[in-house]
Amino acid sequence: MKYSAQFGEGKETRARAIEIPREAAGPKVDVVLDGKNALWEVSPMPGGGYSLVGPDSRHAEATVHRLPDGRLRVHVGGDVFEFEFLDELTARAQQAAGAKGKRKSSDVKAAIPGRVLRILVKPGDVVTAKQPLLVLEAMKMENDVRSTRDGTIRSVEVVAGQAVGAGDVLVRFAPET
Amino acid sequence: MSAPRLLIANRGEIAVRIIRACRALGISPVAVYSEPDRDALHVRLADWAVPIGPAPAKESYLVVEKLLDAAAWTGASFVHPGFGFLSENAEFAQAVIDRGLIWVGPKPSSISAMGSKTESRRRMVEAKVPVVPGMTTPAKDADELVRFGREHGFPLLLKAAAGGGGKGMRVVRSEDEVAAAFERTRSEAKSFFADEAVYAELYVENSRHVEVQVLGDKQGRVIAVGERECSLQRRHQKVLEECPSPVVGPELRARMQAVAVAAAKAVEYESAGTVEFLLAQDGRFYFLEMNTRIQVEHPVTEMVYGVDLVAEMIRIARGEPMSLPEVLDPRGHAVECRIYAEDPARNFAPSPGVVKKIRWPGGPGIRIDAGLEEGDTVPLDYDPMVAKLITWGEDRPKAIARMISALQESRVEGIESSIPFFLELLADPDVQAGRFSTQFLDTWKYSGHRQPEAGLEDFALVAAALDAVGRSGRASLLGPSDGPSAWRTARPSYGRRD
Repeated sequence: MKYSAQFGEGKETRARAIEIPREAAGPKVDVVLDGKNALWEVSPMPGGGYSLVGPDSRHAEATVHRLPDGRLRVHVGGDVFEFEFLDELTARAQQAAGAKGKRKSSDVKAAIPGRVLRILVKPGDVVTAKQPLLVLEAMKMENDVRSTRDGTIRSVEVVAGQAVGAGDVLVRFAPET
Repeated sequence: MSAPRLLIANRGEIAVRIIRACRALGISPVAVYSEPDRDALHVRLADWAVPIGPAPAKESYLVVEKLLDAAAWTGASFVHPGFGFLSENAEFAQAVIDRGLIWVGPKPSSISAMGSKTESRRRMVEAKVPVVPGMTTPAKDADELVRFGREHGFPLLLKAAAGGGGKGMRVVRSEDEVAAAFERTRSEAKSFFADEAVYAELYVENSRHVEVQVLGDKQGRVIAVGERECSLQRRHQKVLEECPSPVVGPELRARMQAVAVAAAKAVEYESAGTVEFLLAQDGRFYFLEMNTRIQVEHPVTEMVYGVDLVAEMIRIARGEPMSLPEVLDPRGHAVECRIYAEDPARNFAPSPGVVKKIRWPGGPGIRIDAGLEEGDTVPLDYDPMVAKLITWGEDRPKAIARMISALQESRVEGIESSIPFFLELLADPDVQAGRFSTQFLDTWKYSGHRQPEAGLEDFALVAAALDAVGRSGRASLLGPSDGPSAWRTARPSYGRRD
């Protein structure tokens, strides 16, 4: 399987390519990194993550987390790496479509898990970008959830007191006319 | 004869800490738990465990009657409140005493004297303890705050009169910020401390937060057990503390300790308490507040002075004289990092969820006070602090070096934690040199781009590829799915009852 890792955002991006066999069961895995072939020793750890021994016998533990925006965060020992990680087909399709086609989102999602404390808008309200729409409480802190754009509220998907997860839709906008 | 029982009106790592003090004294610990805490570590370590209601603290850990009933049901004779929750609630202390139980803490009158920040300031002025200029009564409305600001100048610090632990505080830099800040602080004050009183004081820029540990017993003895440096704060929440303070020498220590003892004696203080000072750049110091309870950062004092403050609190509650001499000498240096379930790379967004993997460090001079184990869930209803990592060394650089290797050895996976933040913070030359004020973390920003060792990125890519192959394998068996991310499954299962 071929993958492309994209580091950085905006102008300062760089990509690295990696290929591993589809049945990468270990312990020895043939890895092609930026075109160079090497044998890695892989041992999955209980609770997730891998204990990895590189071709020069350097060892490190690595665990992979998926962020709400789809990017990966990989802890390697005490260090943290964040990047976009796409399989070859998706990466090519994205390239063909031009830059990462950023659709204008019609939803406001929770960036963090929490409990809805107060709702400040109702369907039909006309709001402006950055206007607070509701207040989330999580771990003893109140956090404003602000509008991502100008628009008219179509629906509020949550009620006060409700617990929400990161990525849950909180408010939907009416389609633009 | 069965062992006396002590009810812990708290949860998390401080409940675990109190359980350990109970064991040291041959006391049988009684835990209480809300619904999501049924399987929490403090419950697993206790001899007795009593359910006290649903997740919201207002319906469980803050309900006096439920706690008293739990004590009666289990035959507990002591109640230790820990910190936060009802620890500085004089009515709770009084209710415990009225039920014929022993309150492990100061007298209710001492708590109420120090509990209202405005009242405590008045008492301190009477006792000739220096204080920062501020309002002596809670603000009736935003206009009163504006008038105070016009008279004394901005910035102001808005505080919940019943607050503590860094919650319910806001810096207000200009008049037009007052109204919104007043409303928000009041709302937080009401929801966290059940008291919406808010007042303001002058905000002294570039000062340090240095606090003195005191202990008083029922024989009337009050002693000071050194100071702690707690200037590294984010949103007024301490993140890293140390003992001793890198800027406090023997002479300043003696003066601060004397004032702290005077402050404690002014309210006839018994038990462990902390007198917090603001230390200005010119070396003057002012009373901020007294915390009438055990403090989160007490372990750094314990490491440097070789004492068990929580056990001492229980001894004092039993009516015994404290076991410590009048003068204690510091030995070496200790540092504490508060491990929060927060994502430093996402503006410290709360990160509750299931902790899939934990590894704590070991070795000489290392102490872990943790409230959770591998597989536990961090609920979103409570404070994000899940553990404390404390290291000791013969001097400050050695304690810090030990902390860095301890952090590197630690693993907390499944939730995000402040461990990467501390590794970056402790690499900062100003932090290593002890050059910082309470404003340091307002401008110091976590970049997440600590220069990693060359070649480690390869490990990240290999792990990502292995993970992706594993996922696509699962997808072909289970049907098309993008797979549950750590963030989605982080939602506690009790969260969607309604």
